[in-house]
Amino acid sequence: MSQDVNLPLDYYKHVSLFWTDLLHLMSGKPLALTSVGPMRNWANDIKKISAEVIESYESVVQFNQRLTEYYKQLTETWNEAQKKVNAKATSIPQDSEQLEAYKRIWIDIFENDFTQLFDSEKFGQNYSKLVSAELDLTKHWENILNVALQSLRLPTRKEVDEVYKELHELRKRVSKLEKKEPSDAE
Amino acid sequence: MQSDVIDPKLVQEFLSFTKNVADAPKLVPAPAEITLESTPYDVAYEEDKVRLLHFKPLAEKQIKTPLIISYAIINRYHILDIQPKKSWVRKILESGIDTYMIDWGNPSNIDKYLDFDDYVNSYMDSCVEFVKKETGTDSVSMQGYCTGGTIATIYATMYPRKIKNLIATAPVIDGWKDTTVVSNVAKHIDVDKLVEVIGNMPPEFMYYCFSILKPFEQGIEKYYRFFKNIHDKEFVDSFLRVEKWLSETPPIPGELFKQWIKDIYQENLLIQNKMFVGGKQVDLKNITMPIFIQTAVGDHLVSPECSMPLYYAVGSQDKTLRVYPTGHVGMIASSFSQKQILPELIQWLKER
Repeated sequence: MSQDVNLPLDYYKHVSLFWTDLLHLMSGKPLALTSVGPMRNWANDIKKISAEVIESYESVVQFNQRLTEYYKQLTETWNEAQKKVNAKATSIPQDSEQLEAYKRIWIDIFENDFTQLFDSEKFGQNYSKLVSAELDLTKHWENILNVALQSLRLPTRKEVDEVYKELHELRKRVSKLEKKEPSDAE
Repeated sequence: MQSDVIDPKLVQEFLSFTKNVADAPKLVPAPAEITLESTPYDVAYEEDKVRLLHFKPLAEKQIKTPLIISYAIINRYHILDIQPKKSWVRKILESGIDTYMIDWGNPSNIDKYLDFDDYVNSYMDSCVEFVKKETGTDSVSMQGYCTGGTIATIYATMYPRKIKNLIATAPVIDGWKDTTVVSNVAKHIDVDKLVEVIGNMPPEFMYYCFSILKPFEQGIEKYYRFFKNIHDKEFVDSFLRVEKWLSETPPIPGELFKQWIKDIYQENLLIQNKMFVGGKQVDLKNITMPIFIQTAVGDHLVSPECSMPLYYAVGSQDKTLRVYPTGHVGMIASSFSQKQILPELIQWLKER
């Protein structure tokens, strides 16, 4: 083993990658002999996709942890707010306006407690990490799609972005030239 | 001891409410069937996806200096002309002010690299130049709302001679002082990664931000009131128009969003005069023209603490700051804005 494998997840990743690589090497020659043209690429793509799926396990774990924490924060705030409502509910007069009064108290307390949560450093940090983990997953998904796009000789997202950037710079240059033109003519 | 008898009033109210819910489709149009535009206009100028709208005059006597309204980059401009009785634009037109509005359009993936430089030095400057040429004036009045207020403020620092009067309505200026929950999310988000992976900021992210703003008042009570007042035509019409407007927010170009979050919310460069746009430093002291800053005490999108520092940062001698007892939308599209905010603003413009 070329690296220290301490965590169970790292170990799992290592074992998966080991067998994916080895099977790819072992099947390389028979595949090269039996497959021609695009089929040869397909065999290579399978390896890339498998490696990307294995790499994404860590992001899945991260995402689940952050999502659990996110829901935990929401649930705890909900429970606390409900306790406050229950404590206050006993003081609401028993008359025809009771339902309206209860609703008002419920909304005010929940609004206040949830706003405090959304305003907290703890929420801000966890939400940011949750989005970050979601973006890592999206990136893995994009990498898998890129393999398929390249195989079909279609531009990848990165290549399309390069075109967008080039277009943006061209538009800027044209706009500057157009603005310059009248003053040059004067 | 709690009574076992259910109050008949409660039963009646419940039955009436459920009847309103059942009758709703017969009484009100679907949001998709509503047209948001009310005051007629011509598209005076277009550049890429940006349009400059020129509203048709509603008064015979016209004030010489035209007004350009820079709408926000979140949602669309319709809120400023949401319905005749609450239309910001209509009221201004009725006072004899020639009014234009910048509609930033609906950016798509190809617009990912648009940034502050494009919005300020290209789009906004082209619009100002167009209006100057068309009206034969040397300078214009500029009003910016929300994020449009920030763009207008930056523009005024860079082209002070082209702006005669500046009106900043709930502008996003001092990100560190902003007390809203949106600023808390903005301060923590890894915006480089977001833009790298997603590109433009998708509307879904904006809807998430909206959802954490008063989630129970906006998510439950608001709709309860809607069904309860389903027979009140004016209320229902106003409600559906605002709801439709809220649900149609365009994506924000990735680079612009990145610069926005980093320079304004995370590093707070604008108020410190350390922000750069198109390679030039933005210095708020360059704003020397008359300035009117409007904020709302109940604004939960841009808190007054975030907008007010502009008053102290500019170089203008003639400056006015107002804090109104309303909210972010109430400031521009309500009976209150028609009765108090707009008359005050129109008077201020006429005096200058």
